[in-house]
Amino acid sequence: MRFPRRAVLAAACVAAVVPLAACGGGSGSSSGSSSASGPVKGTITFQTWNLKANFKDYFNGVIADFEKKYPGTTVKWVDQPADGYADKLSADATAGTLPDVVNVTPDLLAPLAKAGIALDLDQSASKYTKEYLPGAWAADQVPGLKGTYAFPWYLNTGPLFYNKTLFTKAGLDASKPPTTYNDLFDDALKIAKQSKGKIATLANVPTIEDFGRYGAQLTTSDGTGFAFNDAKGVELLTRYKQLYDAGALDSQALTATPESAGHKFLTESVAMNPGSALDLQNFKTSAPSLYKNIGITNQITNTGKVNMYVQSVMVNAGTKQKPAAIAFAHFVTDAQSQMAFAKKVAIFPSTAGSLKDPYFTQQDGTDVTRVRVAAAQSLSNAVNYTPVQFSDQMKTELGNEVAKALQGKESPKQALDNAVKNCDQLLQQS
Amino acid sequence: MSSSTAPGAIGAETRGRTDGPVPRGERPAGRRAGRRIGRNKWFSPWLFAAPGLLVVCAFSLYPFLSTVYNSFTDRRTLIPGHWVGFANYRELWHDDAFWTGLRNSALYVVVVVPALVVLPLLLAMLVQRRIPGIGFFRAAFYTPVVASIVVVGLIWVWLLDDRGLINSLLEALGAGKVNFLGDQWLLLFCAMAVTIWKGLGYYMIVYLAALANVPQELHEAAAMDGAGAIRRFVSVTMPAVRSTMVLVAALSSVAAFKVFSEVYLIAGPNGGPAGEDTTLVMLVERTGTGLSGRVGYASALSVVIFVVVVVLMLLVLRADRKEDA
Repeated sequence: MRFPRRAVLAAACVAAVVPLAACGGGSGSSSGSSSASGPVKGTITFQTWNLKANFKDYFNGVIADFEKKYPGTTVKWVDQPADGYADKLSADATAGTLPDVVNVTPDLLAPLAKAGIALDLDQSASKYTKEYLPGAWAADQVPGLKGTYAFPWYLNTGPLFYNKTLFTKAGLDASKPPTTYNDLFDDALKIAKQSKGKIATLANVPTIEDFGRYGAQLTTSDGTGFAFNDAKGVELLTRYKQLYDAGALDSQALTATPESAGHKFLTESVAMNPGSALDLQNFKTSAPSLYKNIGITNQITNTGKVNMYVQSVMVNAGTKQKPAAIAFAHFVTDAQSQMAFAKKVAIFPSTAGSLKDPYFTQQDGTDVTRVRVAAAQSLSNAVNYTPVQFSDQMKTELGNEVAKALQGKESPKQALDNAVKNCDQLLQQS
Repeated sequence: MSSSTAPGAIGAETRGRTDGPVPRGERPAGRRAGRRIGRNKWFSPWLFAAPGLLVVCAFSLYPFLSTVYNSFTDRRTLIPGHWVGFANYRELWHDDAFWTGLRNSALYVVVVVPALVVLPLLLAMLVQRRIPGIGFFRAAFYTPVVASIVVVGLIWVWLLDDRGLINSLLEALGAGKVNFLGDQWLLLFCAMAVTIWKGLGYYMIVYLAALANVPQELHEAAAMDGAGAIRRFVSVTMPAVRSTMVLVAALSSVAAFKVFSEVYLIAGPNGGPAGEDTTLVMLVERTGTGLSGRVGYASALSVVIFVVVVVLMLLVLRADRKEDA
């Protein structure tokens, strides 16, 4: 059969363009009707965030122990890849297929809590409150809402790695790495000057955590707006601009991701980079020459408090097996389970008293233990500097305005004013 | 031709319609058959088309209509939202990010489409010849088409890095380093180069099929009249493959205007320094996804992209019609 040429062209065009406008979603709020009290039984689904590949045996053990403790329960474990986790959550929440127990971070939790999808544990499971560090429990509270919407799970705080050779070449004392931002900026400028701009000290632009550690006020006192455009915030960005102009901030920092910055450190073109104890093994295998000269220090902070990353476990408010879901979420995050998990990977329990365990206090002379003990000590007064209401869109807004300031397209003050204004607008729309 | 088969037998309906007058005694049965013919004539094609139509309705038409509706609401990922009329479109008009995205997407079309119309044709003419080993070159040029875009992106980022192969070569030649991955415009043009490089093989195959249908006698006749290679290309080859060129222009225009992966992978998730390399589809992704996604606003953006692309297609088809005239 012969089709007119123009008709074929038109059909091809229509087929190509119609999906362009296909962007939508369903509504998504669920309301749980089942009671939090009652027998712990039934089948629940538990979702983790990129943990199956390395910790399959651990989680299978936890699930088996739970099912043994509560006969009549079955836990189905699903794991989602790291990339696009927020999108997966939003798709499931929108479709009403969110699992019963879900691994979240506080900033992912906030929109779920606002939509009524996360269960308020202050009402349903308040008896467990005292088992956790007060700061960790508070991390899952959302400004503007009453209640706590997830069990705190493991905590993490990364050390800062530095290349001793590059420090020494610049005439710096490699045994005395910077501890405050002023020290950092001074050292970074020296390294850039000594290497004639070839060696940068940092590979990432400042994030909201940097503003917090520098001493800027991140949000208004009532949490209804942002305030990182204060004098401290402007000062931080002004200093970063000096670094960028001097070549002390990598030339590709404006488009860098944590992965690309890590690669720069690995190839010894950048002198400092944040990381975790897991990175040490990577350095050992991927860059043995770097590993020999690796220095480990605490996060740079002007406040004396390092940044703490919090992982949590929320219960779906719409679960049909509320008692079992709450019991399992608590079981996964209780002191015993968290301690067992901490011995498998470099994370820290959020349960009260766990950090006093000798595992987190006694040195054995290895680098890994040194990182672990130092990190555990710093956790005692660590702060989660990422406000729970700070969404991905807001992170992009801040990153873009910071880039404009570093390029000289806007003054630091103007850039931060714009960022705060845009983030406030996004917050009001949420 | 007359029927000798009893009414009701297989094929009677067809014969009843085409074989002339039906014998007197068989008219009632013929009328019933006629009614069945009428019903089936209406019903059967739809029955065959139904599975495809259902798929189109479920996965293209419904999402499309839903997107148009959402563009008039302030819907968010987890919040249904309310009807806000043209508020999203008014906001778009004042949104710098939208104009940046529109500029970058339009620039992508302007640079990439001419290259993808011309270069694959030249490539196809090169590999069209039947010489030993040509299959290797055809496969080599086609390889980027089947390569994963993520792998392609990673390879190009490694190549373009300030310590990558290209900068190392430039340094070895005595030239200074070029900040391919840190400069707004270099980033965008690098992404365009990747798009062209990845699309060459695909459109080369399309052109190869078209070139195979160009009568060899025309070339021979032109050669006998003294036409050189360029003259034969302009006077014989190009007119013969003109409709294919229009098709390639149309398809590559749509693809270029809705570019996402190449820019995302090379310029980063923020869309380059300060988001200056963001394309419209990247803006849709950034605005409308995630737990706090502004679905209504992203839908308005999508509708605008749809309209622009439809206009683009109409312009291409109109240009083709003018050429015909």
